[in-house]
Amino acid sequence: MTAQEVRLCGLLLQEHFGEVVEKVGRNLLKSGTQNLRAIVHETGLSVDLVKKSLCVLVQHGACSFIQGRKGPGSPTEYKAHCDRVLRILRYPRYIYTAKTLYGDTGELIIEELLQRGHMTMSNTVKTVADRLTQSMDEGSSMDYGEVSATFSKLVETHFLQRCPPAAGAGTTGSSQTANSTSAAPASSTAPTPESFPDCYRVPQVTLIGRSKRSLASEEGEDQRNAKKAKMDPETHGDEGIYWQVNFERFHQHFRDQTIISAVANKLDQTSSEIVRTMLRMSEVTTSSTAPCTKPLSANEIFRSLPATYNIPRHILDQYLTLLVDDPMEFVGKAGESGGGMYIVNLNQALANLARATLESIVQERFGSRSARIFRLLLRKRHLEQKQVEDFAMIPAKEAKDMLYTLLSQNLVQLQEIPKTPDFAPSRTFYLYTVNQLPTARLLLQNCYKTVANLMERRLFEAKESKRLLEKSQRIEAILASLQASGAEPEQLTEVEEMITAPEKQQLDSLRLHVNKLDSAENQVDETIFLLESYISSSTKPTS
Amino acid sequence: MAEVRVKKETNLAEPAEVETRIRELCQQFPQGITDQVIQNDMPHLEPQQRALAINKLLSLGQLDLLRNSSGLLYRLKDSQTASKMKGSDNQEKLVYQIIEDAGNKGIWSRDIRFKSNLPLTEINKILKNLESKKLIKAVKSVAASKKKVYMLYNVQPDRSVTGGAWYSDQDFESEFVEVLNQQCFKFLQSKAEAARGGQQSPMVQRNSSFATSHEVWKYISELGISKVDLSMDDIETILNTLIYDGKVEMTVIAAKEGTVGSVDGQMKLYRGVNAVLPPAGLVKTPCGLCPVFDDCHEGGEISPSTCIYMTEWLEF
Repeated sequence: MTAQEVRLCGLLLQEHFGEVVEKVGRNLLKSGTQNLRAIVHETGLSVDLVKKSLCVLVQHGACSFIQGRKGPGSPTEYKAHCDRVLRILRYPRYIYTAKTLYGDTGELIIEELLQRGHMTMSNTVKTVADRLTQSMDEGSSMDYGEVSATFSKLVETHFLQRCPPAAGAGTTGSSQTANSTSAAPASSTAPTPESFPDCYRVPQVTLIGRSKRSLASEEGEDQRNAKKAKMDPETHGDEGIYWQVNFERFHQHFRDQTIISAVANKLDQTSSEIVRTMLRMSEVTTSSTAPCTKPLSANEIFRSLPATYNIPRHILDQYLTLLVDDPMEFVGKAGESGGGMYIVNLNQALANLARATLESIVQERFGSRSARIFRLLLRKRHLEQKQVEDFAMIPAKEAKDMLYTLLSQNLVQLQEIPKTPDFAPSRTFYLYTVNQLPTARLLLQNCYKTVANLMERRLFEAKESKRLLEKSQRIEAILASLQASGAEPEQLTEVEEMITAPEKQQLDSLRLHVNKLDSAENQVDETIFLLESYISSSTKPTS
Repeated sequence: MAEVRVKKETNLAEPAEVETRIRELCQQFPQGITDQVIQNDMPHLEPQQRALAINKLLSLGQLDLLRNSSGLLYRLKDSQTASKMKGSDNQEKLVYQIIEDAGNKGIWSRDIRFKSNLPLTEINKILKNLESKKLIKAVKSVAASKKKVYMLYNVQPDRSVTGGAWYSDQDFESEFVEVLNQQCFKFLQSKAEAARGGQQSPMVQRNSSFATSHEVWKYISELGISKVDLSMDDIETILNTLIYDGKVEMTVIAAKEGTVGSVDGQMKLYRGVNAVLPPAGLVKTPCGLCPVFDDCHEGGEISPSTCIYMTEWLEF
């Protein structure tokens, strides 16, 4: 965990859960595993507040607790998960994906689950149905069944999964009684959701009927509250089964989309459709960490291609050969049986895409000639300065300048190989080289810092025009209440004119700035995603 | 018996005849002859007589004395040099010989000093002398602009000295390289586009987007951008820079011997390709390009809140 990560996590926590949670979270991230007492002492908050903050963090999976790490009877310790906090940055993308795949209903389900950490299915369905009904025209309402169907579909495609059953006290307690010697290691490994066989099983939920429209008026509120109280004791048959968003599955989806669009850029639309078909066929059969998909025969691919593409068999074979021949190595050939067995090299594709990202970053930041040197070094591994000049066809003076700049930014490394043990400069080879993985790590940290910078700037912009924002909010509220009470149009314009023209202009530009910063955050997150997946795919032992 | 007698007669002949015989031998073996060869040819010649004859030839400047792994070697000096060197002293001859040995790579005056063991002032005088006689010339090396190397007047300098087609007057012509780089890319790109336009099968489409290095070379020479004659190798170096730019791909295929543009039964094919990814999200923000990124901290002199780059970007 780096300082940049902690800074970004702090900002994210502050934005989503407020300052108290941020203080607790930041403290946990900074000092690692801690017990309640230590957290209270270090943050200087009241015990009650700290407990509540920890609850929030645990609810969202950003924090876990272990009991008795230092022997039986020792206090429960809390540990924050940096990577989980960083997921908050990607929330907009998850929600957007759900919207494109499953429409508004899917969008709202994911949104609710992300906002609340984890929920039961019946609860989610009810909330989503209510929200949909709110936005619909007067007189129509959303059927629970429809929402449940979307929910089941999300579970079927593994976008949602069950939360592991309460990992804390229950499991560790039982393991301790069963085998006291192995208790410590057993409890220290957090149970993964995938390890439960029921992970993706949808429980029988008895939820029939339509959601009721809640009325805006005072008595409607009362009525709903009363109804809620009446409904609460109802059981839907899924108590205790909580659901959460399966981030891994979303990431798998993002990765597949990135690969598909890369193929479309590099080759053409048809090739990308073939790769899309291959990835869809192996979506559920391949685990998210596998280095490549299961082999698919050309016949299978042919049968699964959507009929609308109208690709004859021999053309498909040609496309597959082209994909295999392509130097980016997105698709590989695994065998000859069944008309040729093909795989998608997921890890290789990620590595190549990460390399392209690094190259593009160097190109944009240092110019295309520096990028030429950078690519040259990536290709040829180790080169002396003279060789770099010759291969890249760049005058010695400029090449030297660029190389040293890249070296000082740590994008290029220097390897000394002395001919004699005294490291005398005249008898030493100086070889320049690029190490892709450390460079990717470096740029990932830069990305974190950039996002944090953008967020701080956004907060700063908002703070600068705080007064103006408050004023405009107040006026909007007045306008709304006037409209509701059926005021005269002259009255409305009068209120509207309370915001002067320059103020209006300022508000508009502020909105523009905030939108720009927001979209920039999301764009940087795409880079973060690519680099993160590359790093995790190349460091994980491929089994 | 008669043969022996004949040989004896030649052996007893005048030293002048021995000299001509040695010269004939040298002409027969232009790369030089050893003592052994002379001995075999004239077995009854006294070693003293032989030495006398050789010494005379050497002093006349008609013979060269060389040393190789097997011993001493005699070689005939070509008459041209002999006439050129007329009127020069031994030191001059020595320096000339050293320069001649250096061939088209040339030799630095310091190295001449080491090889000849003459003082530097003397060497400078001799070099000036030889230069004025147009026997040698000084060439500036591209590797080190202040280093002059000397070579024979009629020798074409090596590429490592002049830098090949990419240098004029010891300066690297980066504009020229850039222009060629762009032209080559344009050619490959138009070829790839033409291939994409046709309604052909994907295999044919890809294959027709490839161009051999020979085709590119022909295109460039027909364009007439270059004043100097470019070789295929020169064009391939240019094409390689395009590969490092990430704009071009290369494959090598086997070609029939004798096909135009094939080297050692191989042909290099190039084609223009598109970028895999759009520019990364990081570099779309001012921070991704910021020169003071590492010095930027909240609350510091440079901070995201007060960043002028960010302000400019937001106003844009």
